[in-house]
Amino acid sequence: MEGLLRTAEELAGRYGISYYEIRVTRVTASHLSMQNGQLEELGMNTEVGIGVRAFNGAWGFSSANDMSRAGDAIEAAMKIAKLSRGDSKIYLGDPVKDRAEIRPKKSFLDLDIEDKLALVKEIDSLLRGGDISNRSVYYGDGLKESFYFNSLGSEIETVVPRLRLSFSVTARGNGEMQSYWKSFGGTAGWELVERIDLNRWTAFVREKAISLLHAQSPPSGEFPVIMDPELTGVFIHEALGHAVEADSVKNGDSILAGKLGERIAVEGLTVVDDPTLPGKFGSYVYDDEGIKARRVEIIKNGVLVNYLTDRETSALLGLEPNGHGRAQGYSYQPLVRMSNTYVEPGDWSFEEMVEEVKNGLYMIGDKGGEVDTANGTFTFGAKEGYIIENGEIKAQVRDVALSGWILNVLRNIRAIGDDLRIEFPGYCGKGQWVPVDDGGPHVLTRALVGGLR
Amino acid sequence: MIDELIGILERENVEWEIYWEKGRGGSFRIERERLERSQRKFHSGIGLRVGYNGKLGFSYITGLNHERKALEELVKRTVKLARVSEVPFSGFPTPSRVPRVDGLYDRRIDEIPFEEAHSLAGEFAAKMRELKYDSLTLSGSIALAVSNYGIANSNGIFFEGRGTGMSVSAYAVKRGERTGSGSYYQAYRSLQPFEELEGAIQKAVEEAELSYRAGKAEPYSGEILLEPEAFRAILGILLENLFGDGVYYGRSRFSKPGEDVAPEGLEVIDDATIPAGVGSFPFDGEGNPGERTVLVEDGVIRSFLLDETYARFLNMESTGNAVRDFRTMPHIGTSNVVVGAGRDNLEEFEGVVVKKVFGEHTANPVSGDFSLTVELGYLVRGGEVIPFRDNMLVGNAFEFLRALNAIGRKVYRKGSFYSPRVLGIARLV
Repeated sequence: MEGLLRTAEELAGRYGISYYEIRVTRVTASHLSMQNGQLEELGMNTEVGIGVRAFNGAWGFSSANDMSRAGDAIEAAMKIAKLSRGDSKIYLGDPVKDRAEIRPKKSFLDLDIEDKLALVKEIDSLLRGGDISNRSVYYGDGLKESFYFNSLGSEIETVVPRLRLSFSVTARGNGEMQSYWKSFGGTAGWELVERIDLNRWTAFVREKAISLLHAQSPPSGEFPVIMDPELTGVFIHEALGHAVEADSVKNGDSILAGKLGERIAVEGLTVVDDPTLPGKFGSYVYDDEGIKARRVEIIKNGVLVNYLTDRETSALLGLEPNGHGRAQGYSYQPLVRMSNTYVEPGDWSFEEMVEEVKNGLYMIGDKGGEVDTANGTFTFGAKEGYIIENGEIKAQVRDVALSGWILNVLRNIRAIGDDLRIEFPGYCGKGQWVPVDDGGPHVLTRALVGGLR
Repeated sequence: MIDELIGILERENVEWEIYWEKGRGGSFRIERERLERSQRKFHSGIGLRVGYNGKLGFSYITGLNHERKALEELVKRTVKLARVSEVPFSGFPTPSRVPRVDGLYDRRIDEIPFEEAHSLAGEFAAKMRELKYDSLTLSGSIALAVSNYGIANSNGIFFEGRGTGMSVSAYAVKRGERTGSGSYYQAYRSLQPFEELEGAIQKAVEEAELSYRAGKAEPYSGEILLEPEAFRAILGILLENLFGDGVYYGRSRFSKPGEDVAPEGLEVIDDATIPAGVGSFPFDGEGNPGERTVLVEDGVIRSFLLDETYARFLNMESTGNAVRDFRTMPHIGTSNVVVGAGRDNLEEFEGVVVKKVFGEHTANPVSGDFSLTVELGYLVRGGEVIPFRDNMLVGNAFEFLRALNAIGRKVYRKGSFYSPRVLGIARLV
């Protein structure tokens, strides 16, 4: 590492580079996947690589996964930055020297691969059942050791473990096929697995898939919709989160550009992005630009109070950098990304909320979403739903997707539940994939439902 | 070094397969009409699969310059994994003739100096500044890549190949009292003339202007014309059911070819042999020949997409659809997907047209039900174009395909997807 520091300093001098940063990471990972009792993949690998960014009013970046080319990558990034000469500014700040480790209670590196295989087999056997035509189980863990340094003198070493377990089933019957799934994950060790009630969750997933075989397609049109905590999570991630990532604000691509300080939602709504939540899947200590992760209130009592920023957008918008520059890996440049995004709880009970609805839907579970931040339209899918008639939960519905216009849906929130949950790990794609978590309480709003009836 | 690795493997009592790759790429990102991010990346590595006693082990190593000791460790680790893994091993392919596919490599991309590529991106940004006006913001990207790769196995397969690629994207946002956005993307195998870049910006701007004028359309049920990009979202739901692993594991609606899924005129082909095709290859990730595979002919399913493993599990023949990089085991993927031209003239169509949708991953692949947000559509009436957006396009993919009313004569390409416009029945909510 000493050698790299010296090489970088020398080359920066030669190419007249004002700022550079280097990330060297080592990821030790294992993953297993099984379908219908047949192991499909079992992998254990370690990968080391280097990513170098140099700034000269515009960015130059280079990466290599062959460490014998580390010097070449440093030189390439500097050369590109020299060639690029732009007029952008970035936040510099003081150097940081730190070593931060998220320490699991029980490291997955201490376990034999046989133990992980036994877990996957156990889940597979618990998922067995008459109407189940497919059972899929995935287990993955990875320890990321990262060394970051920059031209300001920052030297940051981080160690972050991350684990994910998910399983799904497809049920067949009644002339239909339906799937259901459940994921667990966190910046944690094997203790996360040990805390899962496997009997309960495997039975839950099986029963849901089978019951969906008999569910109807939902009606279509605009309805009052109660979202469960999981769906609230994907909703707030898609409908609000992407539009407050400051790179979209910078590029004229966000409907929330220029709206800081404005009321954009109902008074009771507070939305937070917090990478410092212990153990969550989207948590980290430092971002990939060497900025300490911090909790950010995005909406406070209905008012837009902050964007998520990186070094570049914080300088451009005159905001404090808040540690949201994240990269998929060493071979990617950091982009502004969310971490763990959630809606703060209100004071409604779920039962009170249901009583409010005359003719609407209760929507459950996250099937992913997508947003057009420029136009302010988003869509997201729910795993299942129920019709609500005159304050009572009735028939189950399937294959439900919702759509809406960001500002309308935020203003149409009528009730925010008191039952906060942030435990829905996943990956968010924006040209790069990063682990995130999201959640919230039950929330009642209005949205466009795209059903076949 | 590959020879040395083969030498080490041949002393082991195992079946083996090596996939190696060495590549580099340059990409350039333009934000607010300025070239803001330029990068040059290098990657290389070796993926090793070992079959031992009916079980399979897989491992990889990054870089192609290794001491003998590192190669021996890779072999040792992978053999050990094969002993404990319990992943069934059904055998590697045997050598067969692979087709010659022209136009996959362009020396100009391989040899372009980085400074020249950077300057091309600079001109792209300058063109955006020229075409920009007050309420318009433009961004985009250019990427160039070259890859050398090879595959060898203990059955005697040894192939090497190389390929190049270029992609261009442009994005336009028009802001005034309201907002409109438009985008354009295309990928190629060869270096493109500047007109292609200029055309990308113009198409994004045209779309942004349409989108700016668009409001929500009245709910509608009936004939809707889908442009290729929107049709891809619906066809993707069918394609998910044609992957051999999904068929084998009971995740597909289908268990064997022969089922009717569409009217007679519909033909869907996976074709790895299209000259200069973005998804083309002479041999797949296991060394099987790239093929032209008819998936749907006259509305009937004729084949699934198969790699060697799932072909053997299903008692079928590989269709050469194993895709991979050195970090991954081969898995089933498409090459170029081609929807055959129909007989109908849909160029002058008047009625409801949907150009782009988003949210297709929320659709249910097995039931086929979809509800997608319309990013842009338009109503053509008496030659007048009235744009709309933000409605949901709702239907069932299998019913939509079965009830296709017309298939256009002209085929358009978007990356590795080729399709005419199609006319079917769906709903706008």
